[in-house]
Amino acid sequence: MKRNIITLIVFCLVATGMMAQIDRSEMPKPGPAPKINIGEPKTFSLKNGLKVLVVENDKLPRVTASLIIDNKPYTEKKPGTSSMVSALLGTGTENISKDEFNEEVDFLGARISFGSESASASSLSKFFPRVIELMADGALNPVFKQEEFDSEQKKLIESLKSSQKDVGTIASRLSSALAYGSNHPYGQYTSVETVEEINLEDVENAYRNYFVPENAFLVIVGDIKKRQAKKLVKKHFGDWKKATPPGTSLPDVKPAQYTQIDFVDMPNAVQSEIIAQNTVDLEMKDPDYFPVLVMNQILGGSFGSYLNMNLREDKGYTYGARSSVGSSRYASRFRATVGVRNEVTDSSVVEILKEVDRIRNEDVDPEKLEDTKKKFAGNFVMRLEQPSTVASYALNIETNNLPEDFYETYLEKINAVSVEDVKRVAQKYLKTDKMQIVVAGKGAEVAENLENVEFNGKTIPVLYFNKETEKIDKPVFSKKIPEGVTVETVYDNYIKAIGGKSATDKINSAIMIGSANIQGNVITLTRKLTKDGKQIEEVAMQGNTMQKEVFNGDKGFVAAQGQKMEFTEEQNKAKVKTAGLFAELKVPEGIELTSIEKMNDEDAYVIQVSENVREFYSVETGLKLATENTVEQMGQTSTTTIKYSDYEEKNGVMFPMTLSQDLGPQTINIKIEELKINEGISNSDFE
Amino acid sequence: MTKNLFLSAFMLFFTFSGFAQKVEFTEYDLDNGLHVILHEDNTAPVVTVGVMYHVGAKDEAKGRTGFAHFFEHLLFEGTENIERGEWFNIVAANGGSNNANTTQDRTYYYETFPSNALELGLWMESERMLHPVINQVGVDTQNEVVKEEKRSRIDNAPYGKVAYSTGINPYMFDKHPYKNSVIGTMEDLDAAQLDEFKAFFDKYYNPNNATLVVAGDIDVDETKKMIKSYFGPIPSGEEVERVDIKEDPIEEKIVATEYDSNIQIPLKALVYRTPSMKDRDAYVLDMISTVLTDGKSSRMYKRMVDDEEIALQVLAFARSQEDYGTYVIGALPLGDTSLEKLTEVMDEEIEKLQNELISEREYQKLQNKFENRFVNSNSSIQGIAGSLATYNMLYNNTNLINEEIEIYKSITREEIQEVAQKYLKENKRLELDYLPESNE
Repeated sequence: MKRNIITLIVFCLVATGMMAQIDRSEMPKPGPAPKINIGEPKTFSLKNGLKVLVVENDKLPRVTASLIIDNKPYTEKKPGTSSMVSALLGTGTENISKDEFNEEVDFLGARISFGSESASASSLSKFFPRVIELMADGALNPVFKQEEFDSEQKKLIESLKSSQKDVGTIASRLSSALAYGSNHPYGQYTSVETVEEINLEDVENAYRNYFVPENAFLVIVGDIKKRQAKKLVKKHFGDWKKATPPGTSLPDVKPAQYTQIDFVDMPNAVQSEIIAQNTVDLEMKDPDYFPVLVMNQILGGSFGSYLNMNLREDKGYTYGARSSVGSSRYASRFRATVGVRNEVTDSSVVEILKEVDRIRNEDVDPEKLEDTKKKFAGNFVMRLEQPSTVASYALNIETNNLPEDFYETYLEKINAVSVEDVKRVAQKYLKTDKMQIVVAGKGAEVAENLENVEFNGKTIPVLYFNKETEKIDKPVFSKKIPEGVTVETVYDNYIKAIGGKSATDKINSAIMIGSANIQGNVITLTRKLTKDGKQIEEVAMQGNTMQKEVFNGDKGFVAAQGQKMEFTEEQNKAKVKTAGLFAELKVPEGIELTSIEKMNDEDAYVIQVSENVREFYSVETGLKLATENTVEQMGQTSTTTIKYSDYEEKNGVMFPMTLSQDLGPQTINIKIEELKINEGISNSDFE
Repeated sequence: MTKNLFLSAFMLFFTFSGFAQKVEFTEYDLDNGLHVILHEDNTAPVVTVGVMYHVGAKDEAKGRTGFAHFFEHLLFEGTENIERGEWFNIVAANGGSNNANTTQDRTYYYETFPSNALELGLWMESERMLHPVINQVGVDTQNEVVKEEKRSRIDNAPYGKVAYSTGINPYMFDKHPYKNSVIGTMEDLDAAQLDEFKAFFDKYYNPNNATLVVAGDIDVDETKKMIKSYFGPIPSGEEVERVDIKEDPIEEKIVATEYDSNIQIPLKALVYRTPSMKDRDAYVLDMISTVLTDGKSSRMYKRMVDDEEIALQVLAFARSQEDYGTYVIGALPLGDTSLEKLTEVMDEEIEKLQNELISEREYQKLQNKFENRFVNSNSSIQGIAGSLATYNMLYNNTNLINEEIEIYKSITREEIQEVAQKYLKENKRLELDYLPESNE
């Protein structure tokens, strides 16, 4: 093996005499590319299977060690168990208590942390021998105690709760679950409920099964010689018992059946988080790996990419739009991610799809392709500034079954990518007909417009999910009620909107007669209303009364097909609050302004009048828009909504001249043909 | 147990002489007043070119909050020789990366390239200083982008008003412009006119108000020649008048509540006004943060998170600035712990610092931690470039990059106690209840 692990032979800028006079209208050309030699780490293995990589670099007096156990991912029976393993590692070992451990790590100015299948440590080189001993002790000789378990469980639950309002977290959770399925290790998520089910034994089992040396790598980088590293590793990791993790199989990852918007409501969001995604079958060792890297770079890999230039620099929708394509051995996805303000959520979805379509169907500008390749070359050079890069390259070759010369020929392969390649892999890996567009945003402001998103002439269906990634029916999205708005102000505005109190004062009763055509039959509706809270609603067909509802201010009944049914006590109580003309002049007890919801595409204040009745008043005009009745019959709940529109003025007061009701797929519109004020009503009508 | 043997063996090595990692640099002024700092390190073929302008949010006119940061965005729009939208493409096509950031005190732009593109980097930064194109198209686009930045960084981010101080500084400053946020308000951003941007450039973006730093794989003599060619001809501007506003001391405890719709768990914060970051006391406060919350054995973490299990997380940090700083001590409750309880315990920890010297062992721990921090702080060329420019512009001492560790080493246990007594006073602080806002 070479004595110098990293040899960077750098040919610096060529000095010339050009400096005397510069022409600043010409962009300076770069000098010859610096030559690089990647070098490789020194390696050795222990008998238990642990493979060790050492990168010697004494530029700074520090050393880092990373233990990586490269097990195949597995679906957790109780999601969160692995988080508990990582939280409990470092809370005491067979040799040292938690407090002593923490105290000593801090005292040495070091950092040691543990994952469920990993550990890492960093310190000044003078303290490293003790630090790696502490790390090994924490990782290999843990004692899991109930007391620590309880405490960490509590903290994990609390931190899960704390992220419930984080738009990014919820978007990412839903996107993983939808891409991979919730029974796949990459798709399952940890919830308060799953964490509550975990016990100490689960943690011990998970640790025993998976914290084993079979697939383990220890990477040591910094101011240390291999000889010294070997001595330390043998001493502290030599007794790690040889074992193999349980074999597992992964569930199949299925693509979406069709392109869809998957929406989750985040009432607190001021920006929508959009993740457009599809799963891909791509590994680093595949020949398509390099063309895909280049393709993604052009689409959304940098500031100057299609996505960012469109959504940020052209439209100003976002602070940044990016995309990525994964290349895991087990399952990966393409993802375009952007956070946009609420108003432009739907437009952003369209623009993302446009750009994906563009890279699939248009040839990339050859100049842009060349510039992109140069970016890879530059990044490649700059990454080598960090000595750990050498180790991570070596580790990638080992774990991803890559050819030995993968990184030596990396730039050659990037340079070989053609205009045709970019288009070809875009078509192969970006599936515009099977894309999941996950949106986490404020439903009350964005959902309606999302329902109308069209792409290539087709409306994209919207599916709704809750924060637990379960599919749900479309929820009702309500807005926050502005400060100062109460039932009183809503009622007040309504009276003002229809003409004011001085106008309503002059009206004591009204009769409205209207008709509608239902499948060829004309039905007639007669409504008689008085200001002291009496009302009659009668529906007739060809002169025959079909249904009649009468309320005399205290009590009421319904008569239909010769049968009469008195209102229940409950019904009477509810009716008192809304019956008659201008019931809004009084604000009865026990009614409540609950929300702002959409009614006929219009924002409306919702007043809960009784358990089963809600009334809607326009935020903009103040007019009453609808009354909603919920009826429970034989365990089934059904809702009927009567909507009021076409307000017209009579005797100084606005009356709705169209009443409509949805009946199955059709809407019945009753046009009021006759409106009589202060005439034709006698008290006997209400008996 | 063998552990103790190890420990005593290590005690012998606690000497703090001589680090072999001095950052060598040369610095000088051009005739137009541009300050230049060069740092040569040929171990990796990487170079960073950065320009720091001594203008930040605190220099903004009344009713124009967010102006300096907005302006940072505008200066990527293009120059007389770099077309609109091409800046990022040029950097990328040459294998580089770039960014910029604005604070209350200064604005910093930088590019990092493979070292063969050094001249390109100098050309770009000199273009920006000499003749950027500032027009309405750019203003309109960046207006939207900056608003999105505000939404994603602050409005949609859990604890955003604490992380970006927008829920803190209005209480801590009365006269000084530090009371405004760097990103500003949407109203002010909308009101800003094109002419004002041009005037802002003429006033602040002159070579005599800037520091150019070039670090990495360079040849110093060649680089000096190139700098002269590209930056020499840029005319200097009028001398910039610095903000000089003195705050009256806080004499009475301020109690406030802020709401955040992105959180479920509240935060209790105690906030103190502190002196300029150049002041020795600011360094001492840095050490106090470490005593309180850095690491699992730190006082507040061990007690509140580990032993008593009353906090999910604890924090203590100084926001260092040129004129004044703020110092935040806070905790997130675990379970049904009340915010009053958190305050009570934090107060006990503060009193302990005021009444007793920290132990010898804690002192030693501090020294080890700061030595470790120092070693890691200069581990990348890009980081070194930023530090050199900052130490020069805001501390007037470029060599602090090497000497700062000496300041920390010279701080005594007694000083830590004195500073805790001097600044962490109950009647001089803000007590902030940072609560979840319900909106469901």
